[in-house]
Amino acid sequence: MIISRFSQVLKKPFIRKGAFFLRIGWLYPDLMGTYGDRGNILVLKKRCLWRNIIPIIIPVTKETRASKMAAIDLLFGGGAQDREQEIVQKDLYKKKGKVITALIARGIPSLFVCGSSQLMGMYYETAEGKKIEGLGLFKMNTLRAEPDQKRCIGNIAVEIMHPESLLGEKLLGFENHGGRTYLLDGALPFAKVISGSGNNAQDRTEGVIHNNAIGTYMHGPLLPKNPKLADYLIMKALEIKYQKNFSLTPLDDSLSQLAKNSLAEPR
Amino acid sequence: MLIVIGKWISHLIAFCNLGSGSTWPGHIALWANPQFIKQIIGKNQLKIIIVAGTNGKTTTASILSHILAHNGYKIFQNQSGANLLNGIASSLIIAANNWGKLDFEYVVFEIDENVIPLALAQMNPDFLVLLNLFRDQLDRYGEIANIAKKWILAIQKLPPQAQVILNADDPQIAYIGRNIQAKTAFYGLTETPQPSEATQYAADSLYCPQCGKKLIYTVNYFSHLGDYQCGACDFKRPELTIQNSFYPLAGVYNKYNALAATLTALKMGIDEGKITAAEKSFTPAFGRQEIIEVSGKRVQLFLAKNPTSFNQSYETIKTLGATVLCISLNDRTPDGTDVSWIWDVDFPKLSQFRHIFLTGDRVYDMALRLNYEGYQSFTAYPKPSDALREALSGLKEHETLFVLPTYSAMLDIREILTGRRIL
Repeated sequence: MIISRFSQVLKKPFIRKGAFFLRIGWLYPDLMGTYGDRGNILVLKKRCLWRNIIPIIIPVTKETRASKMAAIDLLFGGGAQDREQEIVQKDLYKKKGKVITALIARGIPSLFVCGSSQLMGMYYETAEGKKIEGLGLFKMNTLRAEPDQKRCIGNIAVEIMHPESLLGEKLLGFENHGGRTYLLDGALPFAKVISGSGNNAQDRTEGVIHNNAIGTYMHGPLLPKNPKLADYLIMKALEIKYQKNFSLTPLDDSLSQLAKNSLAEPR
Repeated sequence: MLIVIGKWISHLIAFCNLGSGSTWPGHIALWANPQFIKQIIGKNQLKIIIVAGTNGKTTTASILSHILAHNGYKIFQNQSGANLLNGIASSLIIAANNWGKLDFEYVVFEIDENVIPLALAQMNPDFLVLLNLFRDQLDRYGEIANIAKKWILAIQKLPPQAQVILNADDPQIAYIGRNIQAKTAFYGLTETPQPSEATQYAADSLYCPQCGKKLIYTVNYFSHLGDYQCGACDFKRPELTIQNSFYPLAGVYNKYNALAATLTALKMGIDEGKITAAEKSFTPAFGRQEIIEVSGKRVQLFLAKNPTSFNQSYETIKTLGATVLCISLNDRTPDGTDVSWIWDVDFPKLSQFRHIFLTGDRVYDMALRLNYEGYQSFTAYPKPSDALREALSGLKEHETLFVLPTYSAMLDIREILTGRRIL
């Protein structure tokens, strides 16, 4: 099959009175920037722009003052290597934990992938066995892999369990983690595993959800191939910011579907 | 005995056109005798050069081999891509005569970054050339900080007379020099860098390997390569042994490769003028800026296997005035099964290309990537032969088709263009 010039036509957004805009917070792009997770930010940004919603990306770094984060409408954090994750943890724990906790309590939609999701749990263990305290937003713990356990690496397919409006939606991604995450009593899993490892390669759960904050191990990056989830985050953010219901203009997502199909087809 | 069997297998594979037979003989030899490499090297008097790093192994090893051959030394080299222990063993089988004698003065091995500890347990190189550590196949190798740690542990065991050649501009590589007893020599760049927005979030190694604080860069060439010092401790870029050489290939990344080869050759005692003369007659290894003529039309291949090599290849073809581009993305084992790295590539805001032809096993992932970048003039072809045919048929007389493939995609495309498989 040959497909040509299927790019979305991007109308130049114009700022008019009453235009909708979203402040998208991006946790530590300099420290949690591996594994292509920044693709999620590009997807959120473009899907806003294609609908004339104006995205304002706010990179949150060690130098960012916590007070600047209070106005964030949508929050994203990516994966990190161990060393960088510890640097982030110190800054989060000392300076930015409170404001993130307040954002999540207000229902601000958030997506935390891999390392940043672990940081939002009760605690996680590094590969060396150091136990590091998280922000405790997700009722879960992450233990390091036992010597006989392999790193969870490979393509992963899941089916969303929560939120209800996305129930049964199939997602594809790539996972790459040593840590095993176990949900505690009262924690809601984000999805169930169809193929792959998920949280701990045992209980078939993938990720976690609390209010509108989603934790997941899915890289890939996650949002380009799963645009419905991207739109869910954008819609929730608009609803909470403007306190009314929204329906987003549909976009042509045939390329996402083709990319998804090529991964699902056995070769 | 293993050598004779190995050679026989190698010929059989070549004869049946199953590839060039560059890993199976070694695989079988190591299965029969795990000490095979150690024993055959122990029996022979030849100087060993090992080249390792994420990007530039093949090019650096090829320049170095060319310098040595050009200066009359008898050398052999393992085949590009055959850089695991089985590939090394295979190259020994092919180079040795039937009695296990290696009639050579030098051997240049390019070795996979993850295999370095195993390889150093089998042999003591006279020269060890360490190029760089970038994010590459995280699905296979884990994090680069871990690789650096394993390297230090292995390289610490080298004797004091061994010569280690290090890239001063890569903090992780430079740091290795502080922790070993072998002789060290450093290369790096001092020229003014080209302006580029490529480094913003390539967070491979912006933190001090000694104390973990942020590194301060006064000059940054690409990714995390540059002139840096730690804001907190005494770690900084080491003094450069050389900072200039003849550059046989385009691109900043190839300057580093040439510097590494030149410094190694200087440390072997080869005269500077003779090194330059050799470099002037160097032709690139396959797939690395290699030019292939197909029925009067020009195709040039630039291997693009991870964000750094993609960015660098992209920058380089821009300076060469490229107008038509083909990108081929595969996710087979030699490429790494995770294609998320394409989202770490810094595509320029506007495409300078008349048209981009996309192909490979994960063609739609690349299409999706370009779509979100706002590019419009691209077409996706699941079959590489279709993409090449269409790209070539629309090529104007003065134009070159530039191809950026991942590793296995490069082999596929070469096979289509030349009608012959390499590995």
